[in-house]
Amino acid sequence: MNIIELSGVTKTFGSVKAVDDLSLSVPKGSIYGFIGPNGSGKTTTIRMIMKITYPDAGTLRVNGQENQDQRLRNVGYLPEDRGLYKKMKLGDLLLFHGELNQGTDLKKRISYWLDRLDLADYREKKVETLSKGMRQKLQFIATILHQPELVILDEPFSGLDPVNAEIMKDVILDLQKKGATIIFSTHDMAMAEMMCDYIFMIYKGKKVLDGTLLEIQDQYGNDTLRIQSEMGAAALEGIAGIEHVNNFGKLQEVRLAPGTDPQKVLTELLPKTRISKFEITKPSLNDIFIRIASPERKEANNE
Amino acid sequence: MNKIITLFKREYRAAVRTKGFIITLVMLPLMMGGGFLAMMIMEKNQDTDDKQFAVIDHSGLMKEYLEKAVEERNQNDIFHSYTGDKIAPAYEIEFVEPDNDHPLDQQLALSNRVKSAELHAFIEIGPGILHPTEESPAYLRYYTEHSFNDALRYWFRDAVNNNLRKLRAQELNLTQEQTDDMLRWIDVEGMGLVSVDKKTGEQQEAEKTNELQSFLVPYVMLILMFLLTMMSAIPLLSAVMEEKNEKIAEVLLGTITPFQFMMGKVLGGIGVALTTASIYILAGIFTLTQLGFDSLIPYQVLPWFFVYLILFIVMVGTGMAALGATCNDNKDVQSLTFPAMLPIIIPMFLIAPVISDPIGPLATSMSLIPPFTPTMMVIRLATSVTIPIWQPIAGLLGVILFTLFSVWVGARIFRTAILIQGQKPTIATLFKYAFKK
Repeated sequence: MNIIELSGVTKTFGSVKAVDDLSLSVPKGSIYGFIGPNGSGKTTTIRMIMKITYPDAGTLRVNGQENQDQRLRNVGYLPEDRGLYKKMKLGDLLLFHGELNQGTDLKKRISYWLDRLDLADYREKKVETLSKGMRQKLQFIATILHQPELVILDEPFSGLDPVNAEIMKDVILDLQKKGATIIFSTHDMAMAEMMCDYIFMIYKGKKVLDGTLLEIQDQYGNDTLRIQSEMGAAALEGIAGIEHVNNFGKLQEVRLAPGTDPQKVLTELLPKTRISKFEITKPSLNDIFIRIASPERKEANNE
Repeated sequence: MNKIITLFKREYRAAVRTKGFIITLVMLPLMMGGGFLAMMIMEKNQDTDDKQFAVIDHSGLMKEYLEKAVEERNQNDIFHSYTGDKIAPAYEIEFVEPDNDHPLDQQLALSNRVKSAELHAFIEIGPGILHPTEESPAYLRYYTEHSFNDALRYWFRDAVNNNLRKLRAQELNLTQEQTDDMLRWIDVEGMGLVSVDKKTGEQQEAEKTNELQSFLVPYVMLILMFLLTMMSAIPLLSAVMEEKNEKIAEVLLGTITPFQFMMGKVLGGIGVALTTASIYILAGIFTLTQLGFDSLIPYQVLPWFFVYLILFIVMVGTGMAALGATCNDNKDVQSLTFPAMLPIIIPMFLIAPVISDPIGPLATSMSLIPPFTPTMMVIRLATSVTIPIWQPIAGLLGVILFTLFSVWVGARIFRTAILIQGQKPTIATLFKYAFKK
C-alpha cells in the first residue's frame, strides 16, 4: 500500500518549471531517499507533499487524502532551513510543537528524546544557547515527538558530525522498525545507498531515477572498475575504452565506455604497475548521480 | 481550532512573560501622559525670577495706575497664601519717555537691553489708547524674545484694559459702585443633563461638568486604544517578517495552515491587549475612586471600548501579519510601518475637532468609516454628548464586515507571501497575492 501517490504533478514559479509532470509512489513503511542537485525540485516536491505549496497540475494523495486545505495528520516534517523560536526553553518549545501536532504523553516523550539525543541537560536552557548541531537535533525531536506515521526529512544529516549523524541514522531506522514511512532528501550518497529502500532522483524538475538501488544500478550494468595500484591514476592514462576516472587517491573508480572489455584494461595495466585490487562492479550511486548531473553531461546535452 | 489556541498561548506567553512587557506597561502611559506630567511639574516649578520691563507710554495716562497695579500684585499675588513661598516673579516697571524724533533708535536701544537680559520685555502704549482716532491710534505692543505663553504680557493687557474702563467710566461720571457693577463678569457653569434614575424613577439633578473632564475622558480612551494597538498589533509586522526569515514559518506551516498561523498570532495580540487594557482600566478605576473622581469613569463606554478594541486589533493585526509576510528585511518593515499605521495615527490628529463637536459632520462621517470607526466612535461615545444609538451599532456592523474582509484579504496575502523570498512588497504584488486565483 502506498502512503504517498503523485501523478503528473507540475509546479511552476514564473517561467521556471520547478517540478515537471512527476509521478511517484511511496510504499508504506519504506525509507525513500530523494536525491538531486541543488535547485532540482526536491524541496518543492516535499513542500507539495506537505501541502505547504500546491501543484499547478496533477494529483497528489497522502494517506489517500487529496484535500488541499487541511494539514496532514500524523506527519513529521523537518524542513531544509531549520527554524526555531530562539527565546524559548527547549522543554517549552518541544511541548509547543508536540501540542501543535496533537501528540499525547508529551512530557514523558520529551524527557525520553532529550535523553536519547543527549540534550537532557539543556531542557531549561533557551534555544539561542545551543550550537548549530544541537539545534538540528532539537528540531529533529520536534519533528518526531508525536510519533508520526510519515516522517519527511529535508537534508537531515547536513551539518552533523559523524557521531550525531550516526545517532540520527539509528533513530530513523528505529522509526521505520516501528512502522513509520521515512522520506529524506540528501546529498550524502553513501547514506542513501546504505539506508534507503527506494531512491528517487529529480533533475531539473523531472524524475530521472526511481527504484531500489539494485534496480537503478542494473540500468547501468557492470561498467565500473575499482582499481588500486602502485602508480595510482597515472597508470590509467592512455588506456583505450576508459570513459571517466574518479580519482580517490588510493583508489580509482573507472567508468568504461560501452562495449569495453574489462580484461583488456587489466591486460594493459599489468605491464605498467603492480595491482593490489581490480574489481568489476556496478556503478555507485554517487557515480550515477554525477553521470546524470555533471557539467560534462550538461555540455553533451547542450544544456 | 486547537492549533490556533496552542499558537495563541505561545504568542501570549512570549509577549507577556518578558521584562520588556512589564517595562512597556509602566513606561508607555508615562511617555504618552508625559505632556500632562510635564505641565504639572512646570506648574509647580514656575520661573520666580523677578521680571523688569520698560513702558513707553505715548498716551501719558497709564503711569500712576500701572505703578500701583504692579505694587499691589507684588504684595498680594506672588506668594503662596499658606506656605508663604514665592510662586511667581515680582514685576519691576520702568517708564521711558517717548522719543518721538527717533522712535526706532529708542526701540533698538530697548531691544538691546532685552537681548542682554537686563529687561524681560518693553511695551509701547499707543497715544490714542483711550479714544483712538486716525491720527492718534490705539495699540499695545509687546516687544520680547519670549512671546509664547508669557504671563507678563497677559497681566499687562488686563491691567491696561482695566484702567481704560475705569477712565471711561470716570468720564461718564459713574460712581465706583456703578463702575464695578457695570464691569462684573459672569462665567458659564458647565452642567450635564437632568436624568431619571432607572431603579427608583426619581429625577436626578444635573451634575456639574468641566472642560477638563469633557476633554480628558475621550483623550484617555483614544490614547489607551492607540497604546494597546501599538503594543499588540503593530509588532506583528516585524514578528512575522522575522519568523519568515528565520524559517520558523515553514516549520509551522508543515503542521498548521497559513490562516491558523496568522489567527494564532492575532489572537495572541488580542490577549496582550486585553490583559494590558484590564490592568490600566482597573488601576484607573481604583485610583479615580480613591481620589473621589468617580464621575470621571465612563462605565457606559467600557463595553463599547472592549468590543471595538478587539475588532480593531483583529483588523490591524491581520493587516500587519499579512504585510509582515511580504517583507524580506527590516528595511521593508520600516517602509511599510508608517502607511500601515495610518488608521491609528489619523484619529490622533482629529481628536480636537471631534471632541469639540462630537455630533458634527466630521466626527459622524469619520466614525462611520470602518478603519477609523473603533477609535473615532469611542472618542465620541466618551464625550458627554449623547450619540444617536444607531451610530455605534451601524459603526459596529461596518467594522465587523470590514474586519472579515481584512481577515480574508490578509489570509490570502499571508499564505502566498510567507514562503516567497526576495519579492519586494509593492502595491501590485499585494494586489496579486490578494486577488489572483
